Amino acid sequence: MYKLTLCLKYLVKRGLAYFAMFGVAVCVFLMVICISVLTSFVDKIELAAKGLFGDVVISSASLGGVGEYDKLIRRIEKDVPAVEGASPFILTFGILRVPGTDFRRTVQVAGIRLPERAAVSDFEKGLFVQAGLDKPTFDPCQPLVMQRLREDILRTGGILKAIAPVAPDTQLSPDQENLADRLRNALYYQDQAYAAFRNADAKRKRFEDIQAQIKAADEAGDDAKLQLLERDQAIIERQMILPPQRRAILGLGIPGLSFRTPKGEVVRVIAPGQQIVLSLIPLGRNFSYADITPVTRSFTVIDDCSTDVASIDSEIIYVPLETLQRLNNMDAEVVADDPDISQPARCSQIHIKVKPELSRGLALKDVARQIDASVATFLKEHPNASHSPVVVETWRERQGRLVNAIESQRTLMILILSIISAVAVVLIFVILYVIVVQKTRDIGVLKAVGASNFGVAGIFLAYGGAIGLIGSIVGAVGGCYVVWNINPIHDGMARNFGFEVWNRETFMFEMIPNTVEVNTVAWIVALAIIAGIFGSLLPGILAARRQPVEALRYE
Amino acid sequence: MSNPAPGIEVHGLHKSYKLGRTHLHVLRGVSFSIESNEFVAVVGASGSGKSTLLHLVGLLDRMDKGTVKLDGVDVASLSRSKRNRTRCRDVGFVFQFYHLLPELTVLENALLPAKVDESVLGWIRHRGEHRAAAIEMLERVGLSERMKHKPKELSGGERQRVAIARALMNRPKFLLADEPTGNLDSRTGKQILQVLRTASQDIGQTVIMVTHDVALAAEADRVLHLRDGKLTK
Repeated sequence: MYKLTLCLKYLVKRGLAYFAMFGVAVCVFLMVICISVLTSFVDKIELAAKGLFGDVVISSASLGGVGEYDKLIRRIEKDVPAVEGASPFILTFGILRVPGTDFRRTVQVAGIRLPERAAVSDFEKGLFVQAGLDKPTFDPCQPLVMQRLREDILRTGGILKAIAPVAPDTQLSPDQENLADRLRNALYYQDQAYAAFRNADAKRKRFEDIQAQIKAADEAGDDAKLQLLERDQAIIERQMILPPQRRAILGLGIPGLSFRTPKGEVVRVIAPGQQIVLSLIPLGRNFSYADITPVTRSFTVIDDCSTDVASIDSEIIYVPLETLQRLNNMDAEVVADDPDISQPARCSQIHIKVKPELSRGLALKDVARQIDASVATFLKEHPNASHSPVVVETWRERQGRLVNAIESQRTLMILILSIISAVAVVLIFVILYVIVVQKTRDIGVLKAVGASNFGVAGIFLAYGGAIGLIGSIVGAVGGCYVVWNINPIHDGMARNFGFEVWNRETFMFEMIPNTVEVNTVAWIVALAIIAGIFGSLLPGILAARRQPVEALRYE
Repeated sequence: MSNPAPGIEVHGLHKSYKLGRTHLHVLRGVSFSIESNEFVAVVGASGSGKSTLLHLVGLLDRMDKGTVKLDGVDVASLSRSKRNRTRCRDVGFVFQFYHLLPELTVLENALLPAKVDESVLGWIRHRGEHRAAAIEMLERVGLSERMKHKPKELSGGERQRVAIARALMNRPKFLLADEPTGNLDSRTGKQILQVLRTASQDIGQTVIMVTHDVALAAEADRVLHLRDGKLTK
């Protein structure tokens, strides 16, 4: 019992112990933050990569892509039972414009199949209009889109009201004034988008009427009327909701099409219902450079999607796979005279989802090997499917450079922090050594009243352990608090001191990953306690070995 | 029917220390025996080996040669844990410089031997009894009002009384006092001696008190004179 009493007394009464606790707390604090952020960074990359590409990706080494992909998918699903679903994917580049503005920007254009895409990725989770729907499409029901738009208009209006109240004598700072202007501009576009849906039926009817009139004028050979009608048709077309094959889903984060308020609220400028124009260079088929002619099509934005990967969301637009195939010269080419030179429709990649229990580590690698074997067999049987090498990779191999770099950073951080933590052990050792020296007479008294060597050593070991325990709990609680609130803390620092560490473009994600793994924290706390005991081991042994008479005579 | 074994029996006790290159022979064949409940004073000049004798009898140190028997048990035959237990339960020490633990209150200092004797569970079970015993002991030495005070808030005499209460806490059979009044004025010294005497009589202890004050020693039942490591009378 005396061990506990004295250990607690020394903890409370000895100011030196607080230094040691502080040292341990700082080390644990740093460990928890660094390891948690870097680990959740890697986890988030995994989640994002799987959400975007599935678990395994089949890709062609050339822009020509992979043909016969539907047959290949069926073959893989038959050969590899671990495969849960697969979907073709096209990725190319284009120029995005917003009609009626001077906005131009290069973007990545992804061709996807909906709702099939939702089976292999988490695509549907990040959608705005169709959030949470199991089967998102390029043709969502109009009332749903309008409801979402209404909500968004109200939300934007609320943000505007909060920073720029209607009261006439309200003084706004230049920043607030600028933000208010941007919000008013966004509201204008959102209202236009809403109006496009509200008038969709009337515009479509008008478009069909003009089409009929054009046909009649053409038959009548009335060129003047035809010209006027065609002009009217182009105007109406720009205002109407285009058919599903000419609809696009925007990545939420393309600069200029949406923005964030200083509080982090997302404001859509180009909302579902508005049109955009994409110009592509069709690179999907063998060509001579002289043949390259850009193709341009307008699309109606029908939804937007956030994958939480800033580098992707800021430059991607999703369109229907078959539409992009046609635009990119990847659709089937049938030469009636010579079937041998006909080419099947192609895609750039096939994204595969694996059953969850096999979707990690070595199991996933094994599944990828099976898929690779299945692809190799298929390509032998269908030589026309691809004329370039086809690569099968797991998400991790595909993101290898990034993941390995972060994991190396994590290892390095652990190493550096371990060295720093060794200082805490030395600190505990020195402090306990000083205390043992100061307490030499007390040790003599304890032995005089019957305390054993083990008991005396136990006081100091428990003391070291308690320093480790209290320090590590304080550090762990502080570390967890900072990790959980790392985004508001970071934003606050950026706002108030201009100190911005997390650059969304550099670090890919919108938010700093902030998941705390309980196991990791438990390990760090346990190691800190062990370190505390380790630091107190020598002083404890020293105290235990003191002869009572020597200790009592100590000056 | 044989006579009961004496409380403390010392025979041919030798003890030397190494101080640098020199060997200091402190005790040179000391022998004596003390009956149970006897109050014996050991007097001698500084360096005569009084404290060393007390440390050997109280199992704080190991002898070079000779035997010490406590209640007939040769202490040399005891294992380390039994020596600890004997020190805890059967021997109470009072030191010249009190040696109270500064972090503990008066009551906690008095309770220390009981805490050493008990495990955590044992302490939870017997905490009340031990506290009552410690309070009683402190009342007996006249410190009932000072139980929550820290040693630094007490006078020298009061500190020594706390040390006596601590020594008596486990009601040991043997009370060993090493110059208990050596650091006090003569009036306080006499009071302390009275406290020691009364307490030991009440509990029925065998007491060895080391002192260089002959007048104080005269209060004991018997006086042993130690000179140059040997008993002279």
